[in-house]
Amino acid sequence: MISVRGLGMRLESGGQPVHVLTDVSLDVPARQFVAIAGPSGSGKSTLLGLIAGLDRPTTGTIVVNGVDLTSLSEDGLARFRRDTVGYVFQSFHLIPTLTALENVAVPLELADESEAPDRARELLRDVGLAERAHHYPVQLSGGEQQRVAVARAVARRPTLLLADEPTGNLDSATGKQIIDLLVALNRNLGSTLVLVTHDPALAALADRVITLRDGRVAGDEQERDAV
Amino acid sequence: MPSSARFVLGLAWRETRGAGRHFAYLVACIMLGVGALVAVGSFAAGLERTVGRSARALMGGDVEIRSAHPLSADAGAAVSELTREGARTLSVSELVAMSSAAGKSQIVELKAVGSGYPLYGNLVTDPATPEPLIGSGRALVHGSLLSRLGLKVGDRLTIGEGEFTVSGVILQEPDRAVGVFSLGPRVLIDAGDLKGTRLIRPGSRVRYRELIRLPRGSDAEAVKERLVARLNDPILRVTTYTHAQPGVRRFWRQLTVYLGLTGLVALMVGGIGVATSVRTFVRGKLETIAVLKCLGADWRQVLAAYLCQTVLLGLGGSLLGAALGSAVQWALTPVLSPMMPVPLEGGLSPRAILTGLTMGTGLTLLFALWPLLDVRRVPPALILRHDVEPRLPGRRPWLAAIPIVAGLTALAVWEAGSLKVGAIFIGGLAGALILLAAGARLVIEGARRLPRLRSLAWRQAVANLHRPGSHAGIVLVSLGLAVMLIVAVALLEQSLRAELAERGPGRAPAFFFIDIQPDQALAFRTLVAEKTGREPSLTPVVRSRLAAINGAPVSQDPRQRREEVWYLSREYVLTWAAEPPPENPVVAGRWWTAEEAQREPLISVEEEIAKNLGVTLGGTLAFDIQGVTVTARVANLRRVEWQTFNTNFFVIFSQGALDGAPTTWLATVRVPPADELAVQSAVTTAFPNVTAIPIREVLERIAGVLDQIALAIRLLAGVSIATGLIVTAGALSVSRHQRLYQSVILKALGATRGLVARVFAVEYALLGAAAGLGGTALAAALAAGVLHWALDVRWGGSPVTLAWGVAASTGLALAVGFLGTFRLLGRRPLAVLRSE
Repeated sequence: MISVRGLGMRLESGGQPVHVLTDVSLDVPARQFVAIAGPSGSGKSTLLGLIAGLDRPTTGTIVVNGVDLTSLSEDGLARFRRDTVGYVFQSFHLIPTLTALENVAVPLELADESEAPDRARELLRDVGLAERAHHYPVQLSGGEQQRVAVARAVARRPTLLLADEPTGNLDSATGKQIIDLLVALNRNLGSTLVLVTHDPALAALADRVITLRDGRVAGDEQERDAV
Repeated sequence: MPSSARFVLGLAWRETRGAGRHFAYLVACIMLGVGALVAVGSFAAGLERTVGRSARALMGGDVEIRSAHPLSADAGAAVSELTREGARTLSVSELVAMSSAAGKSQIVELKAVGSGYPLYGNLVTDPATPEPLIGSGRALVHGSLLSRLGLKVGDRLTIGEGEFTVSGVILQEPDRAVGVFSLGPRVLIDAGDLKGTRLIRPGSRVRYRELIRLPRGSDAEAVKERLVARLNDPILRVTTYTHAQPGVRRFWRQLTVYLGLTGLVALMVGGIGVATSVRTFVRGKLETIAVLKCLGADWRQVLAAYLCQTVLLGLGGSLLGAALGSAVQWALTPVLSPMMPVPLEGGLSPRAILTGLTMGTGLTLLFALWPLLDVRRVPPALILRHDVEPRLPGRRPWLAAIPIVAGLTALAVWEAGSLKVGAIFIGGLAGALILLAAGARLVIEGARRLPRLRSLAWRQAVANLHRPGSHAGIVLVSLGLAVMLIVAVALLEQSLRAELAERGPGRAPAFFFIDIQPDQALAFRTLVAEKTGREPSLTPVVRSRLAAINGAPVSQDPRQRREEVWYLSREYVLTWAAEPPPENPVVAGRWWTAEEAQREPLISVEEEIAKNLGVTLGGTLAFDIQGVTVTARVANLRRVEWQTFNTNFFVIFSQGALDGAPTTWLATVRVPPADELAVQSAVTTAFPNVTAIPIREVLERIAGVLDQIALAIRLLAGVSIATGLIVTAGALSVSRHQRLYQSVILKALGATRGLVARVFAVEYALLGAAAGLGGTALAAALAAGVLHWALDVRWGGSPVTLAWGVAASTGLALAVGFLGTFRLLGRRPLAVLRSE
C-alpha cells in the first residue's frame, strides 16, 4: 500500500537548514492501522503530510498504491489526494465560511458526485451531527468540528485514511469518541489508517506503532515482534 | 496631558501594529482623488492668477468700449476728453475676411490696429524688431496661415481687395481672445491699410474696440461709470480690465468646476473604500474592543482612538495626493501654456493644496465615522461568544447620518462653488449609490436563491458571492459608480459627436458666404449656379439693435449683469420674408398676408426671445438700423431649432418693411467636398469682400475642441476607475487570508490549481459583470438625462459602448482578482495548514 524509501525533508528555519526527516524507509500493507508516535518535533506530522502528497520531500520516494508521488505534478498530487486520501487535521481546518454540510460536501463535489448534498447529510448523520448541518464551524464545539472533519475525510471512502493528532485539541472523552469513529470507519471501509499521536494509550490501539525520533525511525513495534 | 487623552493617543498608536495593509489601502483610496482635485484646482488657480496679473494686457487697456458700429460722434468726443486728461487711446477693428495667395484662399481673423499697439503687454513676433512690422501694406500673420497657403515671410497676400506683404509671424498676441476656437488664423494689419481691403461696407460684421490706457493712479471703474452714464447706449459695451475676457473666464471656470466635480467622484469612490476598510478593521478588532470595555474603557475613548488614527491616515493620503496633484500640474503647465495668449503661471497653489487636504481629510472622517460608530455597540460579553459574523446589539445610530450627509454636501457645494450644482451632485451621487446598493442586494439574494448549478467552479463562485465575508456589495457599489461615470462621459461624447456628424458634411451646407453686397447678389447667384449647377439660397440680412419694447426705450443699466441683459444689448440680425421659413412652425398668431404686410410693418418673433423681451402678440418692437428707427407689431411667434445649420433669425420682418435699409446677403451653398476649394477660390476672386465660412472645417474644429475637453474629462473619470479598482483590490486583500486558507483546504481535499483559479475567476468575472451592468445602466440614464435636460441633444450613444462598459468592467475586475489571488494558487498546503 505505502512504500517509503530513503525519505528526507530539509526546511529552512531562521536561515539555518533543519533536517526534519532523515532517511526514513517503511512499508505499510493495505488495511493496516498504523500509529506514528514520537515526541514533539520528531517529524511525525511532516511524514504524514508527505504521504498525503501535501508537500514534496527533499530526497527519497513515496509510492502509494503503486503510484510514485514524487513523480506527480501539483495537479496530479491534487487528484491523488481527491481520489485516494482522507485527511483529518489536528486543528480541523474546516472552511470557516461554509456550513458543516457544505464542508462535508466539498470532496464529493470535487469528484463531481451528483448526490453530494444528500450524501453529505448522511455522513453528518453517521457522525451524529444531523442537527448541526447548517451551522458554521465557529458555531460548533471542538469535538463537533472534528466530527465534521472526519465525515469530510471519509466522504469518498478513501483507501488511505490519515489522521494527524486528531484528538490533540480535544478533551479525553471527546477524543475517545473520535478515535472510536476512526477505527470503526477503518474497519468498515477496509481502508489503511495512519494516525499520528504522542499519546501512548492511543498508539496502543494500533496494529503497529512506528516511533520517530529526531527525524529518524527509532522503533517499529511490528518489526520488533517479527525479530 | 489628561490621562484620558494619553490613553486615547497611546491606544491609537499601539493599534497601528499589524495594520499596515489596512493603512496602505486607506491612504491609496484617498490619494488619487485628492491628487485629481489638487491638479485641477492648481490649474484653475494658475489660470486665474495669469488672467488677474495680465488683465490689462489681456484686454489691451484699462477700459474698453466695444461696439458693432464705429464710435458715434458723441462717444468720440467722450474719448477725446479722456485723451486730454492724459489717457492714451487706440482703435482696433476685428472682422473675419478672406485671404488668398497663389490661387488658394483661406478665411482669417483680421485685426486692424492703430499706432501704439499694444497699449499693454508685448506683441512677440518673428523676426523680433523694435520697429512695427505693420503699416504700408505689411501684414503680420499667424504661422498656420503660411502653411495653409504655402507662403513664407516676404510673400504677397491678398486680403479682401487689399494687397499685403507678409512681414513676419505672430508668436504671441497679448489681447487675443482665449477663445475655445477661432474661425481662422490671425492676420494683423495697420488701421490705415484696412480701407484698401474694401471689406468695411454697409452691413459688414465688424467688432470695433476703443482701448483706453489711463494715466497711472486713475480709477478705471470710475472712468467706466462716467462713460456709461454719458453714452447711455445699450449697444456699446464698456468694460474695465478687471472684467477682461469674461467669456473666456466663464468657460474655464465652468470647465474647471466640472473637472473638479469629476475628481470629487473619484474621492467619493475612495471614501467608499475608506468606509469598507474601516469596517473590516473594526470587525477584526471586536475582541480587542470587548476586552478594552471589560477592563473599563469608555466607548468614547475607543472611538476617539480609532477616529484619531483614521483621520491622521486620511491626512497622510491627502498630503501624498496633494504632492501628486501639484506634480501633475507642474508637468502640464508647459503643455497647456501655448494655448494661452500670455504664458500660463504654474507653481504651487496653497489654496488648491489646502482645499485638497481639507477635502481628503474631511471625507475620510465622514466616511469612517459610520463604521466606527459600531464601537459603541460592542458588548464586553462578546469575548465569551463566537459567531461567524457577530451581530452587534442595539440600533445603528441613524441620527448620525444627518451630520455625515450634511458634511458631504458641504464639501460638494464648496468644490462646485454653487449650492445648486453641489446639491444636484450629492443628490445624483446619493441616488446612484442607493440604486447600486439595491442592485448589489439583488445580486447577492439572487446568488443565494439560484438553483444548484452543474459546474463546481460556478457553484463555488456563486456561493462566494453570498457567503459570510463576501465583499460583493462593496465591489458592486464602488466599481459600479466608477463605471457609471466613465461610460456616461463616453455616451455624452458620442452623442455630441453624432450630433455634429449628422449636421456635418452630409446635411450641412458646405459654405456660408457672408457680406454679399446688394449689387453683387445677382452676379454671385449666377457664378455659384454656374460652378455648382445649383442655385444658392440667398437671404437678406439687416443689422440693427433693439431700440424700444412696447414703446419703452431700451437703455443699458450698468448695474445689470451682462447675462441678464444680453437680449437687450445684442445686435439683432433681421431679415424679411413673405412666407414662413420651412421648419419654423408658427406657435401663436398666424403668418401675414400680402395685404396685411402692406398696411404696416409686421414681425414674426422667436418664442423664447419674445418671452425674454416681454412681448406678446400685438406688442411692438422698435429697431435702430444705423440711426433710423423702424417700429413693427408682433404678428406671430415661431419655434426655431437652433442646432440646425439653416439660417435662422430671432426676428423676421414682413416683406417691404425694411426697404431702403442697408442690406447684405447671406448665402448657403451646397457643393460636393471635392469642389469646395474651386468654388471658394472662384467666389473670393470675383468678390474679394465676401467671406466664405467653410462649415465642414468649422465642424471639424469644434470636434477637435470636443476631443480636448473629452480627453481631460476622460482622464479624470479614469482616476475614478483607478480608485474603484483600488477599492476592489482592497476588498480582495481584506479577505486574502480567508481566500488563501480556503484555497489551501480545497487543494488538500484534492482540488487542482486550475479549479481553484476558476472559482476565483468566475467569482470576479461575475462581480465585474454585475458592476458593469449596473454602472452602464445608470450611465445610460444619467447621459439621457443630461442630453435631454441640459444639452438638448438627441441620444447618440451606441449599444456597443454599453457592451464595452460591461466587458471592460468584467475584464478589469478579473485582472485585479487574478493579481490578488494568483500567488495564493502556488502555495503548498502543508506549510500553510501547519502555520494555522
